[in-house]
Amino acid sequence: MTNQTKSQFIAVASITSELSAVMVVAKEISLAAANAKAIAFRAGDKAKGFQPITDFINELAKETIELVTNINIYALVLYRLTVDEYQKTVAYNKFELAAKMAEDAPYAKSMQEPVDHARLSMQDCQRQFKRDVSQLLGQLEAVMHHARAARVIAANSRIEASQAGEYLQSLQAVAESVDKAAHTIHDNVQRCRIALSIYRNS
Amino acid sequence: MKTTKIYEGSHQWIMFGRDEGKPNNVIDTNQYVVRTANRCLLLDPGGAELFAPMMAAVLHHAPVDQITDLFASHQDPDVISSLGLWDQALTNAKLHAPAIWEGFLRHYSCESIEYVAIPDNGGTIKLESVELQIIPAHYLHSSGNFHIYDPQAKILMSGDVGGAIEGPDAPVFVENFAAHVEKMRYWHQRWMPSNQAKRVWIERVRNLDIDILAPQHGRMFKGDDVKRFLDWFDALQVGIAV
Ligand SMILES: [Fe+2]
Ligand SMILES: [Fe+2]
Repeated sequence: MTNQTKSQFIAVASITSELSAVMVVAKEISLAAANAKAIAFRAGDKAKGFQPITDFINELAKETIELVTNINIYALVLYRLTVDEYQKTVAYNKFELAAKMAEDAPYAKSMQEPVDHARLSMQDCQRQFKRDVSQLLGQLEAVMHHARAARVIAANSRIEASQAGEYLQSLQAVAESVDKAAHTIHDNVQRCRIALSIYRNS
Repeated sequence: MKTTKIYEGSHQWIMFGRDEGKPNNVIDTNQYVVRTANRCLLLDPGGAELFAPMMAAVLHHAPVDQITDLFASHQDPDVISSLGLWDQALTNAKLHAPAIWEGFLRHYSCESIEYVAIPDNGGTIKLESVELQIIPAHYLHSSGNFHIYDPQAKILMSGDVGGAIEGPDAPVFVENFAAHVEKMRYWHQRWMPSNQAKRVWIERVRNLDIDILAPQHGRMFKGDDVKRFLDWFDALQVGIAV
């Protein structure tokens, strides 16, 4: 296996592992939102500004989970494509080797067609992989966007929390955990993007 | 890859083996090709690492598009782990292999090649005007195992039966049977599981008129050595690991 193939396998595998971490964190955000809603309800008027924010956080978490689920399906397709490309590359190299070894054979020329065919299907796989990576990068970008939005909301929550009197601390804790989670999601997704970006369609 | 023509008549039998480029840690194998005017059958085409030298060797005798048939005596990797590569190289080919191994062999990838499942009682492979008999050899050593008999060439391709582990320079035919026995004893005692299966196979094979017994490993037996082998095998206790 060449180094390039190895790193392609690793890049694809790393998406799945990074994303499973993102999934855990997104579920945490969703939990934090439910928690915040309960606190805001109890705080009543004091946390009036906080209530729509909790809905928004919840919505964001749900969307992130949905996106990641989709991306995981995509990552599986990408994995299969990597296996396929690997097998086609092995075949192409072996066909070329056979053609070279058969140089002086009377029927050496008949190997040309399988060699050409193997090269084309290997290149097809490579192109398809690049196309799919570009699409996946787009979807990862959407998750990043959500993470950035969550951080803005967390900042707003902190301001709202400061008006909530005795609920200040618990609401601030909520804002804190949303911010932390969004940060983790952002970092993980960023790592996925970096791992994949070298395979992007240029 | 060493090439030896072992029959030349209305069709040909060619033996390939003793590949000098073979990695040291894989077992040496003999591959056989039956060549008719426009078609070519590969018997136990070999492992994946053997694909390129084997293909190159065949191209001395036939163009790729005339490789129409493959036969796998059983499911072992030294027999047929090259299947996925043949599958991508051949556009119009059949694989004749034991029915019970179909779901297993497909792990090697068999998409463009048609899998012709051989039932337990065997059958025939027709190659233009040549009709080859598929002789059951179950439990020798694989639970689904076949040999190929050519009544015209009087050759029995006997898979792992008759096998021996040999050096890369060993001659392709047994020259001194008594000396060869030691190279075969452990092979047959350890890999062959059933005395009953052995007895039934010997009975069946004694009824065939055989000039050359052609195993997948080691050396071929010709003339009187065929009978010597059958007698020796008959007397041997197998399945010793229990
Ligand atoms: Fe075997
Ligand atoms: Fe074998």
